Amino acid sequence: MRRVAVTGIGLVSPLGHDATDVFEAARGGRSAVHRLQIAGAHRLLAPLAARVQFDGSAHFEPPQFRLLDRVSQFAVVAARRALKDAGCELTSAERERAGVFVGTGMGGTMTIDDGYQTLYGENSDRIKPMMILKGMHNAPASWIGIENRWHGPNLTYSTACSSSSVAIGEAWLRLACGAMDVAIAGGSEAPLSLGSLKAWEVLHTLAAEDTADPSRSCKPFSRSRSGMVLGEGAAFVVLEAWDRALARGAVIHGEFLGYGLSTDAGHISRPTVDGQAAAMSAALAAAGITAAEVDAINAHGTGTQANDIAETAAVKRVFGTRADRIPISATKALHGHLLGAAGALEFVLSLLALKHGVALPTMHLDVPDPDCDLDYVCGIARVGAAGRTMLSNSFAFGGTNAVLALRAVN
Amino acid sequence: MTAMTPMTPTPPVSPLLPMPPVTPLTFNDVEGRIRALLVKDFKLEPGTLTPDARLDELGVDSIGMAELVFNVEDEFGLKLTDAAVRLSTFGEVVRFIEESVAAQRGTAASARLTQGARKAT
Repeated sequence: MRRVAVTGIGLVSPLGHDATDVFEAARGGRSAVHRLQIAGAHRLLAPLAARVQFDGSAHFEPPQFRLLDRVSQFAVVAARRALKDAGCELTSAERERAGVFVGTGMGGTMTIDDGYQTLYGENSDRIKPMMILKGMHNAPASWIGIENRWHGPNLTYSTACSSSSVAIGEAWLRLACGAMDVAIAGGSEAPLSLGSLKAWEVLHTLAAEDTADPSRSCKPFSRSRSGMVLGEGAAFVVLEAWDRALARGAVIHGEFLGYGLSTDAGHISRPTVDGQAAAMSAALAAAGITAAEVDAINAHGTGTQANDIAETAAVKRVFGTRADRIPISATKALHGHLLGAAGALEFVLSLLALKHGVALPTMHLDVPDPDCDLDYVCGIARVGAAGRTMLSNSFAFGGTNAVLALRAVN
Repeated sequence: MTAMTPMTPTPPVSPLLPMPPVTPLTFNDVEGRIRALLVKDFKLEPGTLTPDARLDELGVDSIGMAELVFNVEDEFGLKLTDAAVRLSTFGEVVRFIEESVAAQRGTAASARLTQGARKAT
């Protein structure tokens, strides 16, 4: 297996558009969760979301813009930023093999919502002609491929909240085995339509509003946690064969060590400790490291009742007596749950945490749940605590668990 | 999909349609309004839209034709058949829509008569 470097980062996130800004916001515990201003927001029990400040029309010419759902706009812009950061020019031979790997949970759901509003809400048959092309899940990946003329694998993964961790992991597998030399991998999500928010709400997974401060509504591992807050955005990384990156003198943000995958095969929505622990163990095995070498963890940490308890138990199972000495960060408190893009954003935050040697804080954790009794880096960033090697956890409805292992570059 | 070339000079029109606008149209209006749509939606130069101009060569690809048909349907308050998206030149599009507008008027008028007859019984 070949070593794989991360050489580019591109973000369109609730915490900002630039890696430095995003890292500083996460480090400072600045929440991007706010009350949501959309038509029909009053019909939501808790109209909360982490939105991206983004005007898609500023990034595309009108003929292309009319074909892009917000999820594709995010993806293409984040991919551009990642490729620019990587600064790698591909030869036409390399473009034949270069791959695009995208995770998305809900695809072009805003387009679908809009079309159904016409069809059912207005009882009109005037659905716009672009509904299929804008709404399909693989549109974000296709547009990235088209823009760069990359003819290698162009794949979309939809495993709910682990989608983009799966996308990054699957790209790594192909790079490590030599099937590709360069890939762009990540995820995109634009789920903030009324239909989607309502659907999450009736599942009783969304957080109640913190009436004193709505920005503090998502509270991972807290006794008073009440659920997740949806977020939107995209995060992409350029993954590159290590030797290729070295040969061209690229700035290497970190090393991708390995990827662990497991499937609960238990319940459609309730996570299992076994499945989560198996994914972490699989990531260690793929990375060729022991549990003792893991210095910090970016938790899935959604702030739902079920996840946070299961994840705590799974970490204990994998790390044993050392579990309570591993700093665990749950950054969803700040950027919300980006669903299919969550794993990619958190992978990037983990890379930046390693790069800066800072364990990011878990915010809004005033009183921990008695069943959540690990070290969650409560409330304030911890300098020098991220160490060299991290895991980034992503678990999902449907039971596909994906864990990414990464290491700082000396 | 099979070819849907109309067997008669008049394009087939679905009878289950919203009523067309009552504003009177002349054929010249049709051409001018289609030209205006193409100029607005596809940023075309009005001068390029000669009768023989191929729309695909002007950048109106297969997706663009689907959009043009949608916008024409809104503009004229009618429903076009699938054959519309396979037209090639500006002149063909104009002729097809002129015929559709005329056929639609006839259908709508007879539908109103039928409706009136049903109510009367």
